Amino acid sequence: MIPFEFDYYKPASIREATEAFTLLDTAGKNPVYYGGGSELISMARLGNLHFGSVIDIKEIPECKILGYDQDNQLVLGSALTLSDICESKQFPLLEKTAGRIADHTMQCKITLGGNLASTLIYRETVLPLLLVDSKITVAGIDGVRDFPISQIFEKRLNLPKGSFAVRVSTKKGMISSPYFHIKKTRNEKIDYPLMTVAGIKTGGQLRIAFSGLMPYPFRSVRVENILNDTNDNSVRAMEVVNLLSDKILDDLNGSCEYRKFVLKNTILNVLDTMKEV
Amino acid sequence: MGSIGVGQTVIRKEAWEKVTGQAKYTDDFISNDTLTAQIVTSTYAHAKIQKIDVSSAASLPGVKAILTGEDYPILFGQLIEDHPPLAKGIVRYYGEPVALVVADSAFTAAKAVAMIHVFYEPLPVIGSPSQAVAANAPLVHEQMILYEIAQKDIYPKYNTNICDQKKIRKGDVERGFTQCDCIVEAEFHLPQSDHIAMETRSAQARIDASGTVYIKTASQSPFNVKKIISKVFQIDQSKVIVEVPFVGGGFGGKAPVQLEILAYIASASVGGRAVRLTNSRENDMVSSPCRMGLEAKFKLGATRDGMLQAVQMEYLLDTGAYSDIGPTLIKAIIVDCTGPYKIDNVYCDAFCVYTNHPYVTSYRGFSHASSAFCIERMMDKLAQKLNMDPAELRYKNALRPGCTSPTQVEITSSNFGDLNSCISKLQEIINWSEGTRVEVGENKIRAKGMACFWKTSNSPTDAVSGVFLTFNTDGSINLNCGCVECGPSMKTTAAQILSEKLKMDINRIHVNMDVNTKYSPEHWKTVASMTTYMVGRAVLRAAEDVIRQLSSLAAVVLRCPPEDLEVAYEKVYVRHDPSLFLPLKELVHGYKYPNGNSVEGQILGRGSFIMSDLNVLDQETGKGKSGPFWTVGAQAVEIEYDEKEYTYRFVKAATVIDAGRVLNPKMAEGLVKGGMCMGLGLGSRESFSYDEEARVQDTSLRTYKVMHFGETPKYLVSFVETPQIDAPYHARGIAEHGIIGIPAALGNALSVAVHAELDELPLVPETIWHMKTGGIL
Repeated sequence: MIPFEFDYYKPASIREATEAFTLLDTAGKNPVYYGGGSELISMARLGNLHFGSVIDIKEIPECKILGYDQDNQLVLGSALTLSDICESKQFPLLEKTAGRIADHTMQCKITLGGNLASTLIYRETVLPLLLVDSKITVAGIDGVRDFPISQIFEKRLNLPKGSFAVRVSTKKGMISSPYFHIKKTRNEKIDYPLMTVAGIKTGGQLRIAFSGLMPYPFRSVRVENILNDTNDNSVRAMEVVNLLSDKILDDLNGSCEYRKFVLKNTILNVLDTMKEV
Repeated sequence: MGSIGVGQTVIRKEAWEKVTGQAKYTDDFISNDTLTAQIVTSTYAHAKIQKIDVSSAASLPGVKAILTGEDYPILFGQLIEDHPPLAKGIVRYYGEPVALVVADSAFTAAKAVAMIHVFYEPLPVIGSPSQAVAANAPLVHEQMILYEIAQKDIYPKYNTNICDQKKIRKGDVERGFTQCDCIVEAEFHLPQSDHIAMETRSAQARIDASGTVYIKTASQSPFNVKKIISKVFQIDQSKVIVEVPFVGGGFGGKAPVQLEILAYIASASVGGRAVRLTNSRENDMVSSPCRMGLEAKFKLGATRDGMLQAVQMEYLLDTGAYSDIGPTLIKAIIVDCTGPYKIDNVYCDAFCVYTNHPYVTSYRGFSHASSAFCIERMMDKLAQKLNMDPAELRYKNALRPGCTSPTQVEITSSNFGDLNSCISKLQEIINWSEGTRVEVGENKIRAKGMACFWKTSNSPTDAVSGVFLTFNTDGSINLNCGCVECGPSMKTTAAQILSEKLKMDINRIHVNMDVNTKYSPEHWKTVASMTTYMVGRAVLRAAEDVIRQLSSLAAVVLRCPPEDLEVAYEKVYVRHDPSLFLPLKELVHGYKYPNGNSVEGQILGRGSFIMSDLNVLDQETGKGKSGPFWTVGAQAVEIEYDEKEYTYRFVKAATVIDAGRVLNPKMAEGLVKGGMCMGLGLGSRESFSYDEEARVQDTSLRTYKVMHFGETPKYLVSFVETPQIDAPYHARGIAEHGIIGIPAALGNALSVAVHAELDELPLVPETIWHMKTGGIL
């Protein structure tokens, strides 16, 4: 039971949504945009989140797009569920990543936009997007704008107040890059990541991004530089650990030291398996 | 399609209701005048309550009442009356109910709960059993000496945190150790965890104009609810009526009484109106009782040839903030403290200690999954030191007729079964002979571990059960028993036993799925794997009662001596001339002669059962008999271990159990598999973690992990059938046992794979990594 009252809006267009936001905000109705609800509902139920109104974006057509645009970019609406994305089989690394978030029941609820904008620290769906230089289309009161993901996602999705993610676009060529995805958990398969490591190889160079290693997901060019130099594998793995070591999480899922061990091992795995790719 | 009797698979009677979603559970019964109650819970594990500000919540429209501990300064408890329904003056665990809101809707109740402000003054916490018994430890209960003790065999140590101590003194343990060539010692630390039944606990209460209290609850102990409500609130037992519909999983967690008391005071505070109180998952995990934690120290010795000589052990059971059934849990530990092995010299101390953890209650296996972990890890350590096959060590030492148990009960084939046959059969089905540690590829090890179990019960010595039988005019039977249907298809088993006795189609036997203490004969509690034994015995007596009545009536009509008559296939017939018979339907509501004269009236059957020859254990030696029989078995787990990553996956889990007689094969297999699944969960992931202030960290299923379906290994289940001669059709209780040895078997398999001594749970890769590397990168 959510222990407070709130108003519910279900706009049919982007413009209706952003206008509703402005109106509700001005009226002191503390609005939030709403996708699958898995996070908003459970957090509100426990009193960890409070809102006066929700704006459900699941009926906005642009938020439900799944297909290629005229520039041959794959466009994924932010209101698509993880299971929609997995079943579409359009973006193998994203499919793999989304397919390892929560369980199937939840994958049918959690949306791409909701996961990107999550208040939890993992936001695993951003990893593929960071790697393939996706664009995020954001709708705000001033209209709709595209941002390169690296510009709008720094630790979290930094949306201007009143705006929401509409869709994610990715160049077709990047999607088919060779990739890897390794999710490590404490022990249970369906769990938050002890660490998720995702990467691609493009132009002969590895790119890599992490979730669960630090209190936010990130892609690291400095780590990539280490991976792409010519040192011995174990030297490179230790360099990565040393580079990141002072920010590594220490929590119930695993100690900082254990995460370092898993990181080292995972990097060794990646170097080994991606060598010939 | 019908079937007659035991030994063949029958589908549970309520299968269609359950698979179609029609089956109703406690919180499904709501009428529009029902109010909703909700609890406010403590945010500290140990603190003084300075003030509870309810003013803004109380003024909320729709709030009918707000109660705190000051309103009901009473104490309750099954064994030690140490427990206030709502904390009064002090909170002793994180999640403890401190206030109760009654409102006209769930929404208003939730809103009011968020508006109640409790001010605390934190106190030092007891965060583990060893802290609880340390010198000068703060006391969780300062006034223990004032508590009423409801049962004879409880021995508190006042002015400490020890609320009960139980002992075994058998043989001469000092001399025993001098005879040993090989001695192993170890310590174990096992955390608390939770039941996670699918249905969270739920209770409703109303009080009618005559003062009669009606409680509807998800409980394994409806008759105990009646007794406790009656005692605590001084209401005649006849005026407390408890109803239990289907229960969505109990696992022991629904045996104690908690929400029923809160629902009662909630209803009393609103003039007796109906009030419902249903736990959220989070409250169900920490506010309601969870599973015990355990610390243990062990010393076990044997001669060179592997014959066990002596064992010394000390157990500290973490009962949490209140005792609930904790004292009986340590009784259960000492009763079976040697494992199912012959050891003549035993010295065992078990202490039930208060901590500032959530309080604990019964959980599938009733302490045995924890104690078996210690014993069975010890057996593997010993086998390793002796350089002996762990299966052989177990086989050599397995109890057998002529031996005595730790409490000096003589072991017989009937009361114990045949453990050695279970061990041999287990070795076969798990292919033990291929080796317990096999390298199967780069960095990959396949390893097997085994564990044996035994378990008896610890009911009161006068636990009862009963059955009423009535007939419909078509000759079909209504079977009324007081056990709760919480999953293991007990009601179907009762029907199956009656079907066997009367040689009657099981579909013609109708069992009450709910329990109503007003109409159903008392059944102690649906716990302890005792229901088949107790209800079954009552069913057989009731069947004999109706056979006697039917034969006596038919003898008059058929003009023959009643001893010449047989009741079967819905007929009463003459044994030596079956062509002379009467259909049951012509007898069960009295016999009517052709001229209309009628005799005898309805056939009403009754069967009663009470535990016999159980006694209270001697305080100093533990001598005495706690349960009527044991169920024994052997289990194994096979894992694949990755030496590089320190991770593992389950390959197989196997159980061979001496079931006495398998009554319903598929159901029995399913029960044992379910037990194994829970055991793997305990072994590999389930536990509560606490912060430094003893607050539980994993309070939701986001972070508290149970086994997912996709992770289950291949399950192998096999049975041995050594008759238990006093049991209904020789069948032993098997409901809990699938869980008991599995954490230990997993610990043994991993210890073999890893070449390290893994003596804590749950066994997560990080623990293994730490053991192997000392935590160094």
